[in-house]
Amino acid sequence: MCPTPTATIVVALALLVGVPFAARAQHEGHATSIAADSTNDTRPNAWHGMVQAIPIVTHAENTAEGADLAEGYLSQAAAMGKGDLLSGHLRLEATLNAEGLTMSRGELSTGAFGEGFVDRRHPHAYVHELVASGLGSRGPLAYSLSAGRGFAAFGTDDPMMRPFEKYPINHHLSQILERPMITGAIRFGRAMLDASSFGGDEPTSTGSPPLLRRLGDSWSVRATAMPVTGIEVQGSYARVASPEQREGFGLDQHKRSASARFISADGGRYLLGEWARTVERDHGRNENVFAYESALIEGAATIRTVSVALRLEQTERPEEERLSDPFRVPRPAADLGISGVTRWRTATLALTLPSPTSGPIRGYPFIEVERASARARDARSVFDAESFYRTGSPWMLTAGARLRFGPLHARMGRYGAAVPAGPAIRALGIADGDPTSHHH
Amino acid sequence: MRQASHRRGRALGALLLLALGMACGSDDTTDPLGSTNGATCGASAGAPPANAMTVLGCGNFKPSRTTAEIAVRGTLAYTTTWGNAAAAASVFYIWDVSGNVPALLDSVKVDNATTLGDVAVSDDGAYLVVATERAPGSIVIYSLTNPRQPQLVSIFSNGETNPGVHTAEIGRVNGKLYGFLAIDPVASTPAKLVIVDLSSPASPKQVFSQFIGNPFVHDTFVRDGILFLALWNAGVAIWDIGGGGKGGTPAAPVELGRVLTANGEAHNVWWFKDPITGSAKYAFVGEEGPASIGVSSTGDIHVLDVSNMASPREVAYYTVPSSPTSGTHNFSMDEPNGILYAAYYNGGVRALDVRGDLGTCTDAQKSSPRNQTVPLCDLTKMGRELGVGLKDRADPVYVWGVQFLGGSVFASDMLNGIWKLRAVSR
Repeated sequence: MCPTPTATIVVALALLVGVPFAARAQHEGHATSIAADSTNDTRPNAWHGMVQAIPIVTHAENTAEGADLAEGYLSQAAAMGKGDLLSGHLRLEATLNAEGLTMSRGELSTGAFGEGFVDRRHPHAYVHELVASGLGSRGPLAYSLSAGRGFAAFGTDDPMMRPFEKYPINHHLSQILERPMITGAIRFGRAMLDASSFGGDEPTSTGSPPLLRRLGDSWSVRATAMPVTGIEVQGSYARVASPEQREGFGLDQHKRSASARFISADGGRYLLGEWARTVERDHGRNENVFAYESALIEGAATIRTVSVALRLEQTERPEEERLSDPFRVPRPAADLGISGVTRWRTATLALTLPSPTSGPIRGYPFIEVERASARARDARSVFDAESFYRTGSPWMLTAGARLRFGPLHARMGRYGAAVPAGPAIRALGIADGDPTSHHH
Repeated sequence: MRQASHRRGRALGALLLLALGMACGSDDTTDPLGSTNGATCGASAGAPPANAMTVLGCGNFKPSRTTAEIAVRGTLAYTTTWGNAAAAASVFYIWDVSGNVPALLDSVKVDNATTLGDVAVSDDGAYLVVATERAPGSIVIYSLTNPRQPQLVSIFSNGETNPGVHTAEIGRVNGKLYGFLAIDPVASTPAKLVIVDLSSPASPKQVFSQFIGNPFVHDTFVRDGILFLALWNAGVAIWDIGGGGKGGTPAAPVELGRVLTANGEAHNVWWFKDPITGSAKYAFVGEEGPASIGVSSTGDIHVLDVSNMASPREVAYYTVPSSPTSGTHNFSMDEPNGILYAAYYNGGVRALDVRGDLGTCTDAQKSSPRNQTVPLCDLTKMGRELGVGLKDRADPVYVWGVQFLGGSVFASDMLNGIWKLRAVSR
């Protein structure tokens, strides 16, 4: 079903290199509106690609085991391509991620967890997305069928397309990513419904292919409405089989997500509120055993050429026995136990400045500061966050620049007819006159 | 224009204050060694269970490290530690348990380990074996010539043990000492059983290994040349390794039988040989379900009729109805009195009368394990629960291991260290 990583990289690079970049630069920032609209009419084929990297320096005070660390690397190093064929009835999308090469130890991010990393965000798989979609329409109904490796129809946008360099802690509660999947979507007026059948096993490394025999053991469904232009609400539900135990014998997850999103017509103002809950279930005993909940609100505003963004988050994180590297936990785990649940509260403030260059390669300097609070949800837990971090309030400071060549994608985490129209968030680094900007 | 600028400035200032001020908390430090045990020994103000076991005492020292397994021999106990920070290294503690209050004698540091999940003393009292997790997994062998000051003899580690040794049971087969090592799975490498010849403890030799368990093998039990393996969702396997009459040896085991227990997650086994009646009909299997350490746990005790080892079958079970849920972990037995002691994590210690016929009961004494439809004899309904230990304490407990010895029951408590209780009587 899925080609080897090498083959996918070759195909995707051909996709990216074999066509002129920014052929439709004026449409940058609303590639997604192309997606939505293209189901309604016959359009010329369109291709575009983007390469980005974010060199950063992060200083974390009181991260794992109380250490104060400063590190630097290339984060979110990725190449994205999207192309329409057959008059817009066939879409190919690829995102290749090089974090496995540029930050294989993960990105220092106190509070982050997932895929065996903790207090570091894991590097994403080399093949982050490789999806083909067939699109069509009949009257007011647009429809699509997508297949490949990518996001299941669940939750909110990937944090890479949101205005903070540091991912929120709830990344693994609010998105289901890098899965082999088949997703069907329909759109009728201002309402969309998409559903996925996918393999529940999460990547075990940046280069690991999914287990094809698990394709179809998990499913998700998401309903989205856009009652007013610029406003979007979604609710989604997913059943994920044994995501952390590749052979399928681990705990299952039942996930729910609800969110409301606003973006202004020019992308200069953005607001997202989301709630997510993951319940872990022992299918053998048919009982729920653990639950983790998250609430997040984030917003961004661009005033002239400067953007400011604020994120407030409360997320519950499972704690596990750590390895000799305190930023790693065993994968697979040695049993079905956890050491406790920590309730994280974070406030993150980001400031993004205009690019000092105006050529095809742009760089948007930014600075982010995050203050966190970590407390055990149950004081009886063996994992005591305040002891582990030597404080109840870790800090992080990050500075860097979003380097980009090519037009910015507006959304990530949806395919085909399920992609709402709208611009990219300007706080990601877009200015008037940029080749990456778009105005309706 | 100026006013607008001021408004923006105020907004930015407010955002900054909000970001910085949110979630402020005080710094805290913890004594890395431990503290004098005090409050945790106290009984709770509420009424104890009617069949509460008598607590004789808790250790005079409360480790700051999380306690794991226990092994007791004579007047000394050894307790291991779990989930240690790499910088802090792992240690095991040595306790004088001759009095009611276990007294800390010493601690031994074990390098290159974050968890010491298992500890065992050889049947002749000559050696202590400690299992280490995770990579580089090993067993560390100490001489107990002076049992108060174990001396390192050897460390056995190779590519097969590298993922981590979860448990290391030791037992004698035809006069020769062996170690039975349950190896953790790692990445795409499955769990494994490794058998090591310990007849020359200074130079242990691996004699057997096999990928096994689905997805884990957590524990084994060896007696009279028969090896029981707890294989999680692959059930319980019974191997002839020299006493089953099928020609098996530790180097070439022969499987005699296998059974799936209700809900899987088979974690540990105790095969009961009753020295009074001579019966060897039953084996007890601990089910280790999901747990949140310190808070909750799940998993029942399953009773297997192994009188026909080629066709073992589950005939009874024991569950603790409670909220939060309580599940079992390791076992020990007072075999002359037919009493099984089970560590029950947040459920404390459970003492069960397991002498006699456990597979015959009235319909009223039957129930079905959770999520099962086939009714089995329910040891609680049969009145087999003789005692409950440590549920009457003022502070929470989370009991990993138990050992019966000489009229006492010793419990290792992940939260509080070590306890000594009076064994129950019939």
